[in-house]
Amino acid sequence: MQQPHDHDHGDHGHEHDHGHDHGHDHRAAPMVEEITDFEVLEIAVRELAIEKGLFTAEDHRVFTEWAEQIGPAAGSRLVAKAWVDPAFKARVLSDAVAACAEIGVDWKEPTGSGTPSDYMNLRVLEDTPTLHHVIVCTLCSCYPRPLLGHSPYWYRSPNYRRRLVRWPRQVLTEFGLNLPSNVEIRVEDSNQKCRFMVLPLRPAGTDGWTEQRLAEIVTRDVMIGVALPRADRKSDDVRPVHKARRPVEHAGQPVAAAQ
Amino acid sequence: MNPAAAAAVQDGTDLASVPLLEAMRVEGKTWENLAPRYGVSNPDPPWKVGLHATCECLAVGDTLPALERRRAEDQLGETIYRGTPAPEQQLLALAHIMLRRGLLSEDALAERMAVVRSRLEAR
Repeated sequence: MQQPHDHDHGDHGHEHDHGHDHGHDHRAAPMVEEITDFEVLEIAVRELAIEKGLFTAEDHRVFTEWAEQIGPAAGSRLVAKAWVDPAFKARVLSDAVAACAEIGVDWKEPTGSGTPSDYMNLRVLEDTPTLHHVIVCTLCSCYPRPLLGHSPYWYRSPNYRRRLVRWPRQVLTEFGLNLPSNVEIRVEDSNQKCRFMVLPLRPAGTDGWTEQRLAEIVTRDVMIGVALPRADRKSDDVRPVHKARRPVEHAGQPVAAAQ
Repeated sequence: MNPAAAAAVQDGTDLASVPLLEAMRVEGKTWENLAPRYGVSNPDPPWKVGLHATCECLAVGDTLPALERRRAEDQLGETIYRGTPAPEQQLLALAHIMLRRGLLSEDALAERMAVVRSRLEAR
């Protein structure tokens, strides 16, 4: 039973040279050029389970597809509801897993908003005007996936994991987040047993907003703690375009983007 | 067999090693060891998402409920698979639990691994 994703060694997200002429030179991303027994074991276990009728190949594919595309929408809803409903916020802070059920996220349920292999111990960290939280997993890449989807690549990078715990202020600056010196930064290290998520301060300029509108400004990075929510920045904003300060000219005329 | 040992066999945490899996553990060809050798920076092996999907598929319908699996993974990870990095440890533990619960047989697994390997190595 050959499946197209059986044999995929390299870095995801890189362009590979497939021998086509794309008009520019690609070099193949490096790959682990050996097939390990672990890779073989994963496929063998899966295939035997499918043949035994424990689940279908389609079931497996659907889970894989879902696991790779889930986003942070559930976390955004949780934060927005906590901002407008103090009683809900209290429940979020006292028993986050139970509060998640109120917004349709059941950590015990593997389908829908559940997740592979997350542990059911979630703590939501409330920011205050003088305390800012940021999450990391120094050991690997533990992340509250039922709420935030897949972790971003940088979250899993040794650079972030090693440095955030030692130089949090410096690392946050690298994300463009410059916090005043009177704001304490607290780094929470996720682990196999406990996941964290940040409940940021509700930003100015959002009085009277509905939950739905508030949820739109609660982006993934805000709930990790490397950014602050802003009334003018939505998670589905179009990709920002920065115009050149000294634009190139074409045939003696400025190009359109610079006008 | 005393009741505790019988329960361990029942839930898949029987600590007797499985030769097939033990050989893999000892060989230690983990992603953490191999990736730097090939200049690969992806922190997770590409098969990890497939492993997670298998775990979830087994949880649906209670073939292997998630909480039972996690408890068993913990016990095995703290004992016979201690020292193996996370994704490989979870994979070894899952295979171990399935073997002990009779969801797989060691012979069938070994045979299938040979088949899969020859398929992946086919040129």
